[in-house]
Amino acid sequence: MPTPKPIIQVEGLAKEFRRPKRIEGPFGGIRTLFTRQYVSKLAVDGIDFTVDEGELIGYLGPNGAGKSTTIKILTGILQPTQGSVEVAGVVPWKERERNARNIGVVFGQRTQLWWDLPLRDSLELIGKLYGVERDRHRANIERFTELLGLAAFIDTPVRQLSLGQRMRGDLAAAMLPEPRILYLDEPTIGLDVVAKERIRAFIATLNKDEGTTVILTTHDLDDVEKLCRRIVLIDGGKVLYDGSVEKLKARYAPRRRLVVQLAEGARWRGVAMPGVEEAPPEEDAEPGTVALLFDPETAASAEVIAAVLADHQVTDLSIVEPELEGVVHRIYAAREAVA
Amino acid sequence: MATVASNPVPAHRQYLLLLHAAWRGQLQYRGNLVLTLIGGVLYQGVGLAFVWAVVAKFGHVGGWGMGELAFLYGVRLTAHAAWTIPFNRLNSMDWMVQRGEFDRYLIRPAGTLTQFLNWSTNIQPLGDLIGGVGVLVAASSAAPIDWSPTAVLYLLATIAGGALVECSLQLGLCGLSFRLQATYALRMNFIDNIMNNFGGYPLTIFPSVMRFALTFLLPLAFVAYLPANVLLHRTGELSVAPWLAWCAPLLGPLLFAAAYKFWYGQLKHYKSSGT
Amino acid sequence: MTLDATLPAQRLDLGRRLRAYAGIARVLSRTVMAYRSNFLVGSLGLLMQVFLLRVVWTSVFPSDGRTTTGGHAVTLGAQIAYSTLATVQFSLFSPWQVSMVPQRVRDGTVAVDLARPVGFNGQMFFGQVGFTLGNAPFALLALPFAILVGGAQPPSSAGTAGLYALSLLGGYLISLLLGSLMGMVAFWTLEIQGILMVYRMLSQFLAGALVPLWFMPGWLRGISQWLPFQGTTYTPIAVYLGQLGGALRAIGVQAVWVLVLWLLLRLVWSRALRRVTVQGG
Repeated sequence: MPTPKPIIQVEGLAKEFRRPKRIEGPFGGIRTLFTRQYVSKLAVDGIDFTVDEGELIGYLGPNGAGKSTTIKILTGILQPTQGSVEVAGVVPWKERERNARNIGVVFGQRTQLWWDLPLRDSLELIGKLYGVERDRHRANIERFTELLGLAAFIDTPVRQLSLGQRMRGDLAAAMLPEPRILYLDEPTIGLDVVAKERIRAFIATLNKDEGTTVILTTHDLDDVEKLCRRIVLIDGGKVLYDGSVEKLKARYAPRRRLVVQLAEGARWRGVAMPGVEEAPPEEDAEPGTVALLFDPETAASAEVIAAVLADHQVTDLSIVEPELEGVVHRIYAAREAVA
Repeated sequence: MATVASNPVPAHRQYLLLLHAAWRGQLQYRGNLVLTLIGGVLYQGVGLAFVWAVVAKFGHVGGWGMGELAFLYGVRLTAHAAWTIPFNRLNSMDWMVQRGEFDRYLIRPAGTLTQFLNWSTNIQPLGDLIGGVGVLVAASSAAPIDWSPTAVLYLLATIAGGALVECSLQLGLCGLSFRLQATYALRMNFIDNIMNNFGGYPLTIFPSVMRFALTFLLPLAFVAYLPANVLLHRTGELSVAPWLAWCAPLLGPLLFAAAYKFWYGQLKHYKSSGT
Repeated sequence: MTLDATLPAQRLDLGRRLRAYAGIARVLSRTVMAYRSNFLVGSLGLLMQVFLLRVVWTSVFPSDGRTTTGGHAVTLGAQIAYSTLATVQFSLFSPWQVSMVPQRVRDGTVAVDLARPVGFNGQMFFGQVGFTLGNAPFALLALPFAILVGGAQPPSSAGTAGLYALSLLGGYLISLLLGSLMGMVAFWTLEIQGILMVYRMLSQFLAGALVPLWFMPGWLRGISQWLPFQGTTYTPIAVYLGQLGGALRAIGVQAVWVLVLWLLLRLVWSRALRRVTVQGG
């Protein structure tokens, strides 16, 4: 198998926001014009990463971490203060329109569809605006209509669509010109479970069948867990972690949880094994359940289970993987404690 | 390697596509089209009504009769309409920049200004156009003008040039919004207000300091007053050289080129919704 | 909107009603402060308008600074004082927002207003009064500057000043009632921007805010005299400048208009209320 080529390369990226200190009061705008006082903030502070063609990565971080700023630089909305970026061979802010032809962008909170026109008109307009060949565009509209279930509302003005419908429309609009890279900023925000699932399935299909590279920014770690193999975690404008989801868990939440349901009348006698300890009982635990914490590096799951079964009558056993949500929270909390 | 389906599209075609979409969106709200247009006509017409009442009593303003004054007013108003129809979205500039709504004009392969101007539109400036052209047509016969083909061409150049002068001032200041976030009060309450109020009068009625300011600091005189003097054969009473009055329609394109460049230059200061 | 919200609420006694109205006025006057920078820049536009009018009148008046019209003499000084006062007063009495009603109908809060135990029209009326009171400091602040770029004259006597105060009150009441009537249109259609614009421009001209009635061509003066608009601006200022022969008679005309407009408002309101009830919101 040939090694995939990097499609996004980011090196030493920094963005400082500097704005004149705002002067309040009458003619504040005009007085601000002549002020020399500035307020500055380093939103991105030396970020490096590369993304290979066909990857689907989660780009995570708490509010104000610098994720949106990074995405806005990659899409060509903002110019960085320092560093180099290449997206499919193009420096986004230098050749904004050329870059725009390679990418699709969806902002969860802001539609890019024409508000007063039926969804279909927006989709057709995009084909003309991007110079997509007519038959190819028509076929794409048909395909996305089916994949995203647009048929029921494609002739409705966008302003009358529900949030979930609108988001599906936005996704279709972004993907119609068949971009190589899709940036998604909070695509499932405010959606119900069914709508979320539908959108996740669509993203996964695109990535698998079309080989579209996807950069996903989200607060919903369910999205990430279901979709991404790799995540880049940033905070304070710096990369905190870059790698697979499993490794992140192994590093920050190494211990797994073995939940044991004892047979009726059986008594818990404990397990004497190095690296295994009993978890403090949970409040809503059923009577007769015991939870053990162990690190699979020092104690293999099979051995722990064998040790439990050797001494106890058990009706049920389950191993619980740590959830990404908890892991990420722990990382943020630890950083805050340091700061 | 995946290839994209999009191909370069000529800028003017994209402009027309987006313009068409904006108008179709606007026409969904047919509501009280007629009353909105009448409102627009009256908004600009009330100034002329004042001039008319004054002339009815005193016979002139600054030595200009009703036909001449109406002609000046018509040129100014038509020029105003000619730029506000395609550029009415500039009104929303501050809001778009402050809220980070401008993002959407930076992620498609089409000109940022083209997308911004044609994201939606407003029919009210059409009222200005109706009013302006109406006044101009009525005044054309009343004012002492020799209507040769050259004069007609000069009038058209004047309207285009005047539109570009006003438009350039507004566009240039809008460029500053990328940095300052807010320029609306300066643009509309100050500059546009002066243009609308003072633009319909012969500058000879003002004190000389103001005449200078309205010619060289805020080039109001170039919008309609100087070229109107040319067409009305009144360049003799101007305090500037007659050739400058003749060349007045050229200022618009020059200023516009500068404002356009400036606006795009300032775009790099756009901060989106970043802090 | 539920039906019972539109039923006439139980009436409160007078003292309580007045307190309620004062509260509404206070709230509205505060909203003005939130937008104070707009009003300050707006005042700049006002001053430019005043200055322009002075320049125009100065340029057209004969060099001896006096002219006669329809039998009575007007000096340039009086004319400039008129346009200065008229501009400031009209901007205070006739803001772009002529009534609270369209906004209340649009965002649905009209249902809340109707459910309150004080009359709807009273609430709207005093809300608008609060709005004017909130703006008044800006107008008073602009006035000395307006006099500086325009001009002023003292009232000819203490009696004139008293009549002016009376006539100013009449003018304000007529402005409020006309604005309230326009606001009622919102119960029939919400797209009233065009209508309000037409109203504003016609009323500005017919009120004499730009050209006093004495300088209007005869036929136009005739029309203006038979309409209520002149009572809002022309009448008080003409009384102030001593330009009206029968000041008391003019104030009497204002009073008649207040009565007529008030009756008209009640009539329109009863229709509007029926409409709200039938539609059920």
